[in-house]
Amino acid sequence: MRFVDEFRDADLGQVLASEIVTTVEPGRHYKLMEVCGGHTHTIYKYGVDDLLPENVELVHGPGCPVCVIPMGRVDDGIAVAHEDGVIFTCFGDMMRVPGSRGTLLEAKAEGADVRMVYSPLDALRIARENPEREVVFFAVGFETTAPSTALTLMRAKVEGIRNFTCFCNHVTIVPPLRALLESPDLRLDGFIGPGHVSTVVGARPFEFIPADYGKPIVIAGFEPLDLLQAVHMILLQLRERRCEVENQYTRVVPYDGNSEALRVLEEVFELRPHFEWRGLGFISSSGLKLNDAYADFDAELRFAVPGIRVADPKACQCGEVLKGVIRPWECKVFGTACTPERPIGTCMVSSEGACAAYYNFGRFAREREVV
Amino acid sequence: MSCDSGHCITCSDEALPMQVMRPDQSGVALCTDESGATSEVMVDLVGHVAPGDWVLVHAGAALQLAENPTSFRQ
Repeated sequence: MRFVDEFRDADLGQVLASEIVTTVEPGRHYKLMEVCGGHTHTIYKYGVDDLLPENVELVHGPGCPVCVIPMGRVDDGIAVAHEDGVIFTCFGDMMRVPGSRGTLLEAKAEGADVRMVYSPLDALRIARENPEREVVFFAVGFETTAPSTALTLMRAKVEGIRNFTCFCNHVTIVPPLRALLESPDLRLDGFIGPGHVSTVVGARPFEFIPADYGKPIVIAGFEPLDLLQAVHMILLQLRERRCEVENQYTRVVPYDGNSEALRVLEEVFELRPHFEWRGLGFISSSGLKLNDAYADFDAELRFAVPGIRVADPKACQCGEVLKGVIRPWECKVFGTACTPERPIGTCMVSSEGACAAYYNFGRFAREREVV
Repeated sequence: MSCDSGHCITCSDEALPMQVMRPDQSGVALCTDESGATSEVMVDLVGHVAPGDWVLVHAGAALQLAENPTSFRQ
């Protein structure tokens, strides 16, 4: 397959795995966090972790945008979806994320007009085609998705479309990483940095990780060889007592990101004072909202959004999974009460959630056998 | 694209290489992925694109012009 075959070459994988084995220091245990859910998915789909020595442990980070949405925001979205005349649009995964009283999919079954879209542009098209209806887009995602939302809102403004609004839940990647690094119960040796977020923001925003916390970070692509090479680069930094931001994904990620994408983010959004993250609590300056110039497109201003706050179910340990404190299979309800078919927690919903990745690629059985 | 086919493009830090088929004047281009599926993509962030160019697309927006990698180690 064009673009990817080179990065799934088994022989090269074995070569890299051998280099990793010769790079690790005997007697040392390494704990590396892959920040991004896309990396988690690749690791378990291709068995990347099976190629690593036993003393190199991969920990899954908070980089799945679906997984970090708190139940209260889902409830808020469902409340808007039930408003008269509303067409509520969202990405497919969001339809199955449980709020405290069900999912958007269940709201659709109850009569709400909830529609799945592949991009905010699809939602804007629905608004154009249905001028008598109010079309709301449930925006989630990190700096990778936010530019798409911003460009769509800029188009809506230019075209004077009045029946289109955005329920904005975009988040930024640096504040949760800083929160994780401040967490006393977390010991990490290095980070595999998020590839496509970095396409937009660049590698520079991650310089605080080596500078302030003395940890290496390597921005990585999403193919198996990308990840193996990133692990090797981190281990090499550790062995050589270096600590810096390195970019493995140079074929896509410029060190300074995409300046035009950053400009459109600046034009449309502003930081919220704080935003709630599932499992991580409220984190200052970590969420985006529409700024005053785009207030007319803000669903939270146009509709009576209840602003519901809901505690996570007691049995659910998504928070600890998102912080890398426990592995997915160590959660009390993993694979029993909580499955991809009937998820309790968000980590089991998205294909990139750590729990779903474990479950879907058979890690559940393997880990249990090991135990 | 379903979540079963690899990465779910709808939710996460993942992007798809797509080839530009027909750009229009409004910053939107009809693009196709390797499966042959087509969709409209906003190309405002990557400057001028021409038919045949490859772009890395996330949630309906092209984030970078994609290169065809010629070697693993760059």
